[in-house]
Amino acid sequence: MLNFKINSSEIDKIGNFTKEEKNFRLKNLNYFNDNGFPNKKDEDWKFSDLKTIISKNFTKLDIQFAKSKKEKVDFIKDFEHNYIIITNGELSASDFRYEEKNKINLESFVNDNYSNEKENNPLINLNHALSNKGYYLEVKDNYKFKKILVIYYLFTEDLDENILNSKNKIRIGKNSELHLLEYLVNSSKQNFFNNVYEDVVLENSATLKNIYLQNNKSSGYFHKYSVNKLFTGSNYTSFIFPAGLKFNKLDLEFNLEGERSECNLQSASFIDNSEHQEIKTRVNHLSPNCKSHQKVKNVLNTEAKGVYQGKIFVKDVAQKTDAYQLSKAILLSESSEFNSKPELEIYADDVKCSHGSTSGNLDKDSIYYLMTRGLSQKESSKLLINGFLNEVVDSIKSNSIRNFIKTKLQTQLQNEHKKH
Amino acid sequence: MLEIKNLNASINNKEILKGLNISIKPGELHAIMGPNGSGKSTLANILSGKEGYKISGELMYQGKNLNEISIDERAQKGIFLAFQYPTEIPGVNTSNFLRTSLNKVRKAQGKKELDALSFLKIVKEKSNELGMDEKMLSRQLNVGFSGGEKKKNEILQMKILDPNLVILDETDSGLDIDALKIVADGVNSSRNNEKSFLVITHYQRLLNFIKPDFVHVLSDGKIIKSGTKELAMELEKTGYKGIN
Repeated sequence: MLNFKINSSEIDKIGNFTKEEKNFRLKNLNYFNDNGFPNKKDEDWKFSDLKTIISKNFTKLDIQFAKSKKEKVDFIKDFEHNYIIITNGELSASDFRYEEKNKINLESFVNDNYSNEKENNPLINLNHALSNKGYYLEVKDNYKFKKILVIYYLFTEDLDENILNSKNKIRIGKNSELHLLEYLVNSSKQNFFNNVYEDVVLENSATLKNIYLQNNKSSGYFHKYSVNKLFTGSNYTSFIFPAGLKFNKLDLEFNLEGERSECNLQSASFIDNSEHQEIKTRVNHLSPNCKSHQKVKNVLNTEAKGVYQGKIFVKDVAQKTDAYQLSKAILLSESSEFNSKPELEIYADDVKCSHGSTSGNLDKDSIYYLMTRGLSQKESSKLLINGFLNEVVDSIKSNSIRNFIKTKLQTQLQNEHKKH
Repeated sequence: MLEIKNLNASINNKEILKGLNISIKPGELHAIMGPNGSGKSTLANILSGKEGYKISGELMYQGKNLNEISIDERAQKGIFLAFQYPTEIPGVNTSNFLRTSLNKVRKAQGKKELDALSFLKIVKEKSNELGMDEKMLSRQLNVGFSGGEKKKNEILQMKILDPNLVILDETDSGLDIDALKIVADGVNSSRNNEKSFLVITHYQRLLNFIKPDFVHVLSDGKIIKSGTKELAMELEKTGYKGIN
């Protein structure tokens, strides 16, 4: 088994840090070294035994990575957009040609918060100890983006058993609005691990619409922890379309700090061939009159494993909370597995909270109906699977972006169907 | 067109059809009437190819043994079943589905597939004939459709696919009188001397609008009486119990 303990001298190799920062990194490194990669004994990881997955698939994990050559970017041509390019976690280019530049601040980022609070997730500790790249994006107050911003996350061909630790921070100012497409394009041939820490703040009455799309399958192993703070009247909508990876865990926390703040999260994915995907959410209702809505849809084929752990926490003061979560899974194969763990923890008495979880096979009556109209069994299944997932895509409002996403997912699904 | 001889069918060891005989020639419209549980829907399901039934007897369509033909191939060969309870299919766009279906059938019959534009023309024309709101076509298949809308959508599919043998399974149930007339008009305008119809119904009411050539009474899995449309009138007066 891979013994992944990191020598404290590695931190000096990353850079020269202030005493405060160095202590922060060392402390987190010790936390990580004490635990190692999490395994199924950790409650938060009981369906995703990362320790085993890492030992099976990696012989080493290189912290150091020589800066790779500039990657050629295959820009999206379907709609006009601003862009940021992040190569292997590092900010490498940007273009805000449609915007007022003095309303936007973008810079490389490492960290600015050396809190003493102990994180319970060893991967966050690892990130705190070793992160050496990332970006900070700020939309100043009272500014609405005119066009969507696409963040191209590129992973280069020369990655080989590396671990990338990056931190990103996004702040949307008061009354401001940003539409974002996080577009992950992966050209790596060898295994690598991508460990991201993300910090998002929506100030009063800010709006963020986010689409997270993994363009292709790859040999990347992904973990992302994202903490989102929503102040009064702010609104966060997020669509997540993962491509299916050997390991992919999105751990998302939403803190509804201000009254009337709202978050809406929807996800759709098709996973196959021993892929492992977990979406874990924690929505904290901390103020009155907030809304949260989650819908997670998964289709699972041969040997695929899907996990949804969704927790809604309602603080005693958070009256009139409206919280909803739904997980739906279709299992196409006897060897696929889906685990769902919904959790509600409510301390207020005037709230509306509901959750539901279903998993099962494709509906036989629907297949019969479609076949009586001349479609083969395979075509009928395909149509039903597309329909099941498209329901999420259909709630994207912009036509050009919805069609772009639809085409991307269609291509991914076609590749899947070809295999079977 | 359709020749059924001594058809027996059971599901979960329960016998439903017990030696049913019927013969339908091109251009004919046959009505099958019968009380609840007499096996009407089972007959419709079996003709469409639904799985789960144990079947014996002879089932011939255009001279071929139906038992050897899969559900989708039957549709491609021109058998159409209008469902009593059309299935709601979330996420599938009605218009896209209709086009996929039509092109599957056309392709199997050696005809050219239709592009989006020519298809749209056909579907608009046919849906107007049925007094359907065009907006329905951009909705998810049968999802949130009213009972009447679902039935009209079945008749729309029938008109678009232009089958040889149409089976209407209680298409009249749940329809108000106006919708019933529209549906009946849809059927009547499709009749010609090549197409055959098998109309399954509970009530004589539908047969006031769709005139059958023959009427059969199905009871306990067998045809117990056959006749012309006068038989339907008689049934209305005496009830199923009065027949024998």
